[in-house]
Amino acid sequence: MLPAKRTSAAQEMALQTVLDRLTGGLPAPRDMPDGWVTAVRVLPARAASHAPFPPGIDHRLRDALQSRGIEQLYTHQAVAIDHALTRRNLVITTPTASGKTLCYNAPVLNAILRDPSTRALYLFPTKALAQDQLAELHELSNVLSGDETSIGVFTYDGDTPQDARRAIRGRAHIVLTNPDMIHSGILPHHPRWAKLFENLRYVVIDELHAYRGVFGSHLTNVLRRLRRICRHYGSNPTFICSSATIANPRELAESLVEQPFELVSENGAPRGEKFFLFVNPPVVSQQLGIRRSYLSETRRIAGEFLKRDLQSIVFAQSRLSTELLTTYLKDDFEGPPGTREQIRGYRGGYLPQRRREIEKGLREGIVRAVVSTNALELGIDIGALDVCVMAGYPGTIAATWQRAGRAGRRSGRSAAVLVASSAPLDQFVVRNPSYFFDAPPERALINPDNLHILVDHVKCAAFELPFTASETYGRHDVQEVLGVLAESGLVHRGEDQWQWTSESYPADAVSLRSISSDNFVVVDITQGADVIGETSFTSGPATLHERAIYLVEGVLYQVERLDFEGRKAFVRRIDCDYYTDAITYTKVTVLDTFAADPTASHGEVHVSSRVVGFKKIKFYTNENVGSGELDLPEQQMHTTAYWLTVPREVMAALPYASDDRRDGVVGLSFAMRQVAQLLLMCDRQDIGISIGGGDEAEPGVSSRNDPRPHFPDEPRVFIYDNYPGGIGFSEPLFRMHGELLSRTRELIAGCECEHGCPTCVGPVGNTGPLAKVVALRILDQIAAQSTGRLEAGVA
Amino acid sequence: MNLAERLRSVVRVEPAKAGPHDDEERFHDDEERGGRLQPAHHDHIAETLGGEWRDGRYLVVDRTYHAGFRLGRVAVSDCLPADDGRWPRLGLLMSGAGGADPPCGRLLFLDLETTGLAGGAGTYAFLVGCGWFDGAVFRVRQFVLTSFAAERLLLEELAALMRAAGVLVTYNGKTFDAPLIDTRFLFHRLEAPCSGLAHIDLLHPARRLWRPAVDFHLGGGEPSCRLSLMEQSILGHVREDDVPGFEIPSRYFQFVRSGDARGLDGVLEHNRLDVLSLAMLTARASQLLDEGAPAAHTAREALGLGRLYERGGMTEEARACFARAIELEADIFTRVEALRAYAVLCRRERRYLEAADAWRRMLTLHGCPPRLTQEATEALAVHHEHRARDLSMARQFAVQSLQFNVSRSRAQAVHHRLARIDRKLGGSSPQPAPLF
Repeated sequence: MLPAKRTSAAQEMALQTVLDRLTGGLPAPRDMPDGWVTAVRVLPARAASHAPFPPGIDHRLRDALQSRGIEQLYTHQAVAIDHALTRRNLVITTPTASGKTLCYNAPVLNAILRDPSTRALYLFPTKALAQDQLAELHELSNVLSGDETSIGVFTYDGDTPQDARRAIRGRAHIVLTNPDMIHSGILPHHPRWAKLFENLRYVVIDELHAYRGVFGSHLTNVLRRLRRICRHYGSNPTFICSSATIANPRELAESLVEQPFELVSENGAPRGEKFFLFVNPPVVSQQLGIRRSYLSETRRIAGEFLKRDLQSIVFAQSRLSTELLTTYLKDDFEGPPGTREQIRGYRGGYLPQRRREIEKGLREGIVRAVVSTNALELGIDIGALDVCVMAGYPGTIAATWQRAGRAGRRSGRSAAVLVASSAPLDQFVVRNPSYFFDAPPERALINPDNLHILVDHVKCAAFELPFTASETYGRHDVQEVLGVLAESGLVHRGEDQWQWTSESYPADAVSLRSISSDNFVVVDITQGADVIGETSFTSGPATLHERAIYLVEGVLYQVERLDFEGRKAFVRRIDCDYYTDAITYTKVTVLDTFAADPTASHGEVHVSSRVVGFKKIKFYTNENVGSGELDLPEQQMHTTAYWLTVPREVMAALPYASDDRRDGVVGLSFAMRQVAQLLLMCDRQDIGISIGGGDEAEPGVSSRNDPRPHFPDEPRVFIYDNYPGGIGFSEPLFRMHGELLSRTRELIAGCECEHGCPTCVGPVGNTGPLAKVVALRILDQIAAQSTGRLEAGVA
Repeated sequence: MNLAERLRSVVRVEPAKAGPHDDEERFHDDEERGGRLQPAHHDHIAETLGGEWRDGRYLVVDRTYHAGFRLGRVAVSDCLPADDGRWPRLGLLMSGAGGADPPCGRLLFLDLETTGLAGGAGTYAFLVGCGWFDGAVFRVRQFVLTSFAAERLLLEELAALMRAAGVLVTYNGKTFDAPLIDTRFLFHRLEAPCSGLAHIDLLHPARRLWRPAVDFHLGGGEPSCRLSLMEQSILGHVREDDVPGFEIPSRYFQFVRSGDARGLDGVLEHNRLDVLSLAMLTARASQLLDEGAPAAHTAREALGLGRLYERGGMTEEARACFARAIELEADIFTRVEALRAYAVLCRRERRYLEAADAWRRMLTLHGCPPRLTQEATEALAVHHEHRARDLSMARQFAVQSLQFNVSRSRAQAVHHRLARIDRKLGGSSPQPAPLF
């Protein structure tokens, strides 16, 4: 059993004790990349800075806020509310628990009080977040609703019962929904929502940073459609966005909404002192680069805090590790069965009711620790906790701060601990703390004019409202897009507008979370036929080929048959001690170069890839225990790519055998991929990598196991957007070329392994023993060349 | 690759679906496609469809069906409202409270042809068919949308027509036509006309009156109630060369793209027949309501008519209808339903002997579904215990009701009844009688 709840002073002492135990008592020692605790930072406490209510605030709203204990505003709230009241678009980027929601709720409620016909639309990336906000808004609107005014606040999403929808359309002042519902449920039925669109004053987009990559590119188009419909009904809403800390919040808001934005980033809320620690589990096998399990390390560290009754949140990277850590901590701390559960797990698959119960338990302090996936990273209200322990690097700087923000009260100390796994990104971050603490966080990138995405939304828009013959939409010539759609009979050019001439309902065929709705479905045929998963078309062959091992929450399945045409994979449960890794040959051909300097370029490419075989890899030891050959159809796509060209003279001057030179390039590309993912703030599957000459004649090379003989004299390392049409990574990567190479060098040089490991240039066996050395040599030569050119230029 | 080529690879252009007409070269030259329709085209369209242009923007097609015009067994003259234009007891056809009071004003029969069934802002009503009785004739006016740009004007004229009417009559219009036409008005920010108008959706009364009996034993699928089937069975009219519903949108798109209206003519005819048979079926329903039980041709019709009266609170008429339904020759399902309806109504009216008689007749029917046999025996047990005060009969029926598969709570209630009857029987029957 855990000890009973104590005073806050006692809690601070307890926290200090654990921190002393972890850091050896040093207040803030210098960074030690090779140590166990690699970095300690203290973020100082900050006092609140207040401002009065802006003059435009209705007295009823002020009274309501005061009745709930809000006597004055924080400075950022006052600035934000003022912008919103004067109808300027704004984006707010202050941390969790800084009173962000008031920044949009206040102006919206104020406008409704002044003019009850006013309507507002709130967008949340998930249904759960909308539900969470509903509770908060209800409290405020109940206080405000008098005899003559009643403020209607409703969620409207896939869970809303059909018979309630009509009432909501008529009565809601504020509609809380998600982009998917706007896209497929509201915009195509806009006449029924005429009242909303005629009076739409504010659109609130919460968790703006969630809209990057494909999702963000779709959202821009949904908002283009939304603004078209607003123009039709004569309204012009103001946008209020809130975002976690990213490098380019204003740029992201402006590219999502395509209007100018004000940025509010100065936080006026008070903050207690916060400790931030990086922990790297010690190396167990130097040669293989294997470290002690980060999950056991997390269990031990979380245990230290829990022993002293510090309320904690533990973040895990997957559903499986969430369940594992929950079990471990329950074993360590839970009382006998039947007593109140103080340790809880939390993830997406849980039923809403259970999740609400856990959230409430956390707010009330009954639940002392929660182990969660990223489900609790977003703004769900769980109160402020004492400690956050992260098992593994969340993947981006922004997400890490977001999770760390779950611990931290407005007064009093808190702590966040990041426990690194042996994944390359984790290792890079804990060994280079300044990358995390001092550099700006990632940029969120989108490409709303990706033709695949654009065309889908032009169809939806044409369904909703005929395009006029002079209308513009997006960056491309929409008239030309419509002309091509007319060729397939979807629209018809009338006198001066394009009429939708199809029986279909185009929004149904477009998913905002992917580029194309062409997916592989995974069917479990162990008993009957149950659909247990879905995989995108591009990654289907590599993960669902015959004999592949397919994992769902730790359960193993083997693929028995892949119906490529029918887009179905039939799997059966299996017990085995290995997983499979597909061998894919990828060839990239350059179609058009947009920009180039001597070693870096970006442009449009054709990617063709084919899965030719697979390896069986043993769990835990990662031994290669077998392989198989496969014959699958080639997949092709047009996309955009960044590429590094290793100059012919650099290759020729390498004092190594040709196999070793090849290993150097392969190892270099392996490391570059990790760093590119870091710089782009993207997921692993968002980008692909390939080595080749880039010409039609030259085949690509992916690894030493690749039996094809020829290796180009002037190899190019392609990092391509793994989506048809590209999603906007290549151009920024080209601009960050210098940083990409220098960070890659740091990653390889800083790694403690001897001949390469999965943390730097890839596991030994994939590349030869000299990969690490050769890769570093290549990077140094390229750097020397460009310095040489620079000096030559100066001279 | 230029943009158009890249777009084509994204859209994966397939040639537009071939329509029903292949001989359209004449209308296919590029100048005319995509441009404003040429006056020559206007003439051609008006001529093909037999209509007139309004402002050169949309087409209005008027037809008059004279008193002698027939669909099958029924002539327009058989369907005319009373001299004062009123339809007695028509209110009984309205859903909800309705009542026997006839709604006022002219009936407007409405049927839409649309560009699809998906709904939403991109589904258009390209053809609005309206019909009304005018003196001794029936008139149909059809509005044909030839280009989207004219929709607003078309709707404004339609709204005027609807405002002049007192009651809207449709077939499945509560679910489909009314929301769709309202959506079109709201799209143009015009007042939606249907919501303020009294509305008879004939589908629901038609189901009561004319749908074939549901086979209790088969259960599941309900017999279809499509308008064309009603037209066939009630009016005795079989359509020839009728355009099937699924083909209608593609015929319209074909017209929009080619300007050739020949494929549309059949669609307009289909719509006119729908409007006319809707009016005739409504007239038949109204006549039935007016004349009451003797007018019913079949047991099914008498039963449905009784249900309509019952819903409208006209129990006297309802009872007469149920009684007629029992008299007329009928299949077992209809007969059982009729007896049950009669019994339930009589019981409610405290005509206990008549009710008991009907329940008893139900028990004599071979093939009466167990659920209803059980209901009848239970009702008879109650009747004999409390009304007729014949305890041994009551006991016999209660015991009989137990032989059916009934829910546990139901069985418990019967056991209670049996225990009570046995108590009342007292010494007269000291040992519980054997169950069978």
